[in-house]
Amino acid sequence: MIKAPSTSLLRAFSPLWRAESVPWVARGCIAQQVHFSTAEQRMARKKGMGPKTDMRITLIRYHLQHPLTPRPLRFSRTRALRHWTIHRAWRLYQNKLRLTRQLELERQYNSMNAACEALRLMDGDGLTQEERSKLGAEIEGSNDMGRLYRIAMKKDDGVRADAVGKGVPIEYARIQTETPPRDGWNSAWTR
Amino acid sequence: MPLDRRAGRFARCIQCTRHDRSLPVRSFSTTAPARLEVLDSQTPAEAAPPPPAATADTPNPNTKPRARDANTVSTPAAEGQLLRNQRTTPVGSRRRRAAIASTGSIPFSQLPYQCFQEARAFLQVDRQEKLEHIRMQRQRIENLKLRAVPPQDEWIKENRIRDMKHRLEETKIAADMNDPVVKRRFEDGEGDLNKPIYRLLADRQWRAYRRKVLVQRITTMNVIPDVLPAIEPIVSTTLTFAGKRVQHGDFVDSRVSELAPSMTIQPYDKGPRLYTIAVVNPDVPDVEKDGFGYRCHFLASNIEITPTSTKVLLHKLQSETQVVLPWLPAYGQMGAPYQRMSVFILEQPKTEDGAGFQRLDAAKTRAEEPRYSRREGFNLLSFVDRFALKPVGVDLFRTKWDEGTAGVMQRAGIQGWDVEFKRKRVEPLPYKRLATVRYR
Repeated sequence: MIKAPSTSLLRAFSPLWRAESVPWVARGCIAQQVHFSTAEQRMARKKGMGPKTDMRITLIRYHLQHPLTPRPLRFSRTRALRHWTIHRAWRLYQNKLRLTRQLELERQYNSMNAACEALRLMDGDGLTQEERSKLGAEIEGSNDMGRLYRIAMKKDDGVRADAVGKGVPIEYARIQTETPPRDGWNSAWTR
Repeated sequence: MPLDRRAGRFARCIQCTRHDRSLPVRSFSTTAPARLEVLDSQTPAEAAPPPPAATADTPNPNTKPRARDANTVSTPAAEGQLLRNQRTTPVGSRRRRAAIASTGSIPFSQLPYQCFQEARAFLQVDRQEKLEHIRMQRQRIENLKLRAVPPQDEWIKENRIRDMKHRLEETKIAADMNDPVVKRRFEDGEGDLNKPIYRLLADRQWRAYRRKVLVQRITTMNVIPDVLPAIEPIVSTTLTFAGKRVQHGDFVDSRVSELAPSMTIQPYDKGPRLYTIAVVNPDVPDVEKDGFGYRCHFLASNIEITPTSTKVLLHKLQSETQVVLPWLPAYGQMGAPYQRMSVFILEQPKTEDGAGFQRLDAAKTRAEEPRYSRREGFNLLSFVDRFALKPVGVDLFRTKWDEGTAGVMQRAGIQGWDVEFKRKRVEPLPYKRLATVRYR
């Protein structure tokens, strides 16, 4: 007995065979079948007869089956020049936006960098070495030079704006103020 | 009956005379001319009024057919009339012609397309900013030039000025680069090459294709490295013999190349400069050496070229001040392979102050430099080094023996028109049969 050839490919590609898998909402488009020949099926066909095709379904099908490469447009000379002008203007505008954003980010980064550098050179009294020597205050007492800088650089501890690692979101932080002090209220203090 | 093709499917309705046309037919265009045309087609029954009979006194004005404009005909009948009576074809698409007929002429930059006009407005603002930058940069260059620096820092100042000038040129080009009018003017060939933007666009266009072809031909024909070790073409050249353009590497008939050609040398940087043109043949057969030597067919200096004045007629150059070696016709003797005739454009060095270009004394060269006033054995590399020239352009044509070569050589007084080169017969090696099983 001759074994019938597998119909898997036919099933996959032939629209006639796909009718079973079509959902009930799209039954209307089964009637729009693809004929075997690519010649126009005009002969001996009565006008107005045959299934009424829905234009919306046709358009949806065409757009879903669209090839990746779009059809090339053909422009007249002035049309092409107008298109080119608009394209140049749009690219220029986008580049300006991008540069503005970039400069703003750069400005913010530089500002943060300068702030960290200032903290690094600052001791517990808020003076750099230069300022200390200028004011004549003692230099030896400044043993916590750059303490706040080191606290700011810690990534796995304490509050962070982006809260990575073991960091705590910055919203939980205490705003750094001069008063009240870190050591809190000393109830046992006497003169 | 003229049918407005734009009407398309509705044309039949207009044409149809069975129904009563009491209602006016609405055309697609609301302006007068198109509507009139539709109304004319509406009443075919009315015959056109017969032209008034021509008398001896009054010539009939209606017998002359109406003159149609090739830019505004939009109906097939009008197009037919244009073709038959004026023997000209309509210009552009029918849609375009109908648009032109129905609107007044609007300059391109004022076409009423919203996106286009907004883009234009944006680009105008940007252009004003760039003009302001240009003004500021010019001011800064002037200020820097006036500033006194210690002599050991002079080189820093010079470098800075050079870079600032480079940036200024870039800004000048950027100011005009987005202008569609500039783009269209360049594409139509109407760009003024004294302006940097047009020079840049022309250079870009040359480099996109024609320069690549030139370099490919030069390399495949081995002009480089046979004549000069290397060259970076900066100017574009065209060679014309007897009014006909010669492509790079073309064969030119000996009778055509008997007279000196004319060249167009197009530089793409600004200002006038002096060029030297040398035509060197690197394929002169040398029997004793069993090889080839060089011959110079033309040498001329002090040719002034600017981006706008590019034409050089080699036979019109001054023989005292410019021409060192006059034109010798290109010839390839019978039996010799084709001769490559390479044309080199060499830029003369600047003067010490940097303002002008040094002139080469042609008479002095002829008198005192025997190496460069002799045609045979002319070494172009030596010539370039001696006078500190810079190779900027190259062109090539080829010549071989044809019917006219003998006559050309006789007229030019060249010896050897009746010489034929033959290849030396190489005796084959004696055949020695090896007596082994493999070589049966």
